[in-house]
Amino acid sequence: MLKSTYQRADAAAPEALPPGWTEHKAPTGHTYYYNASTKESTYKRPSAQPEAPSIVPTYGPNLSDPSVANAYVAQFNPPPAQQSHRGGFGAGRGGRGGYEGRPKPAPIDKPVKKEPIPGHEPWILVYTKYSRRFVYNPVKKTSFWRIPEKLMPGILELDKERIRRKSGNETDPKSAEPETAEAEEATVQRKEETPTAAPEAYDSSEYEEVEVTDDEDEEGHASKRQRTDDAAPEEEEEPVEFTEADIAAQLQAMGTDYGLEPGDYDDGNMADWPEGAEGVEFSEEDAKLLFKDLLDDFRINPFSPWEKLIEEGRIIEDQRYTALPTTRARKECWDEWSREKIAAQKEQRAKQEKKDPRIAYMALLQEKATPKLYWPEFKRKYKKEPPMKDLNLSDKDREKAYRDLVNRLKTSQATRKTELTTMLKSLPLHVLNNRSLADGLPTQLLVDPRYAALEPSIRDGLIEAYVQGLPPPPDNVEDAKAASDEREKREKRTKALEERNRVIDEEKRQRERDIARGKARLRDGERDIEMAMAVDKTGLRRQLEDAA
Amino acid sequence: MPAIRHASKRKPPPEGFSDIEDDLLIFANKMKDAQNKPSPAGPKHQAQWEVFQIAHQRSRYVYDLYYKKEAISKPLYDWLLKNGYADAMLIAKWKKQGYEKLCCLRCIQTKETNFNSTCICRIPRAQMKEGQDIQCFSCGCRGCASSD
Ligand SMILES: [Zn+2]
Ligand SMILES: [Zn+2]
Repeated sequence: MLKSTYQRADAAAPEALPPGWTEHKAPTGHTYYYNASTKESTYKRPSAQPEAPSIVPTYGPNLSDPSVANAYVAQFNPPPAQQSHRGGFGAGRGGRGGYEGRPKPAPIDKPVKKEPIPGHEPWILVYTKYSRRFVYNPVKKTSFWRIPEKLMPGILELDKERIRRKSGNETDPKSAEPETAEAEEATVQRKEETPTAAPEAYDSSEYEEVEVTDDEDEEGHASKRQRTDDAAPEEEEEPVEFTEADIAAQLQAMGTDYGLEPGDYDDGNMADWPEGAEGVEFSEEDAKLLFKDLLDDFRINPFSPWEKLIEEGRIIEDQRYTALPTTRARKECWDEWSREKIAAQKEQRAKQEKKDPRIAYMALLQEKATPKLYWPEFKRKYKKEPPMKDLNLSDKDREKAYRDLVNRLKTSQATRKTELTTMLKSLPLHVLNNRSLADGLPTQLLVDPRYAALEPSIRDGLIEAYVQGLPPPPDNVEDAKAASDEREKREKRTKALEERNRVIDEEKRQRERDIARGKARLRDGERDIEMAMAVDKTGLRRQLEDAA
Repeated sequence: MPAIRHASKRKPPPEGFSDIEDDLLIFANKMKDAQNKPSPAGPKHQAQWEVFQIAHQRSRYVYDLYYKKEAISKPLYDWLLKNGYADAMLIAKWKKQGYEKLCCLRCIQTKETNFNSTCICRIPRAQMKEGQDIQCFSCGCRGCASSD
């Protein structure tokens, strides 16, 4: 991730705090500092002196703005057009080793050329292999990607000079190729006020324009004078006590200052990719449904707290757990699911209770009815029980059920057993089946006097044994269709998840390969430069052209 | 004469209690374990952190069930508060803007701290330095600002 802050140097001895800062003691005993105006707080004592004015100057990009940050990071990416250009390069020379033992700066880009900026010594303009440029002050050891205003005139002079020279002798169109992205890059860097322009915005017509209109008319080039040319190494003559290793280190330091990991040079945007943006059909809706499937499958109690779910860790093992990218998203989905689940459960219960007031009444009879009590006595004795007051039942029905039950209670237990078995057998499979114990016994059974007539201790075992021997419920045509539709959808999104995970894995491997290749390329590039440094001008030039 | 017992103890809990009974028992056991644990080697004030944490989680659990999931009835919610399953004072704070995630009441009491300000855990993470890790004194909170 890109960090917008850089490390402050710790002040060695306590000194006056900069204006706005106050010192505080945390209850832990730590001292911390708070700036009331910026609302900043830090454990590190802010320094009164202007901090490292060299590295993050007023020109420094404000990376808190995401678009600025993207453009900034984009600078570190090799422009895509070039990448394809050089695709075979690393592979072709990959075999060349010899540098493995030396610690190398990780960035794939590297400086290839430098020239002093006339009128602004000791400032140097440095060109990188990937056609970017930055300015460097070897005395102050300062560098900027963004060219400071005050250096602009000098750099314009350099560009003019080069074009002049180029129009004099340059004809090989090939050498212009690496300029394309560079030209774009340079434009981007010139336009201080539009830092959001990314290299992707590069249009190949610009490149054509450079080539076609490249002629002697110097003034005609005024509009293109910002274009640079790193393939013209004529300026190499000045002896600068500043080697390419210095620049490479500088380049890396700049990356570190901005909190960039070495890998970020290679693909700084990787972290910005939205989850699932890899092109697999896998919507957020699917992700949520998958996560809910998971919760359903594990028969999670919707009343339980989220922390319990995580502590148990059962669902974490399932790949559907990662269908949602963040813990926050998962928790939100869990909240939603449990709310839905609880609401559905409530509704179900309400329906069941409303549906048949007889169930509660029969349960009361089961418990209290006895041949010793006549109906009026029973009625008086239990008049306060809710089932006796339920307006949905008529007193006549209550009496009828009571008499029926009491008559049955007078028969032998064996008779009552037989009667219940007969009753069970009369129930069709869709009413009573091998799922009835889990789903709840059917109302039809619960309200039957034959059910209430047998003591639960005997009755329940009898029913259990009978029900277990039954086949599953027959598939209701409509239900079956809905169920298979749901199954199909489920399978589809599970597949999509697998596919997504596969693509992510593949991309990860691809990136690792790219990084490895980039490192190899860097080593080669350095070697090239070293060789180039050792040869004469023409040799150097050919060398660079080859590399490009 | 039977021992005089509090009315709420004698009355069975309101309907819906059975739905959450098991999870409440888990919380109760965790709490017991935390209290009986020998004090950790660290500073003394840290001994109570775990208890605070569980109490916080349980209050949050009850709060979520009633306010966010509409999973329990008002009578049950009131009964839970009355019987100490959740901290009514803390929940009252959560309903206020800016206190939605407050860790504990102590962290907003200015008197107890030695510099007359709320606890460091109340400072939004955005205002902290990158990577700065804090843990507060009173309950071990690592940050409970609403914007975090
Ligand atoms: Zn706290
Ligand atoms: Zn806190």
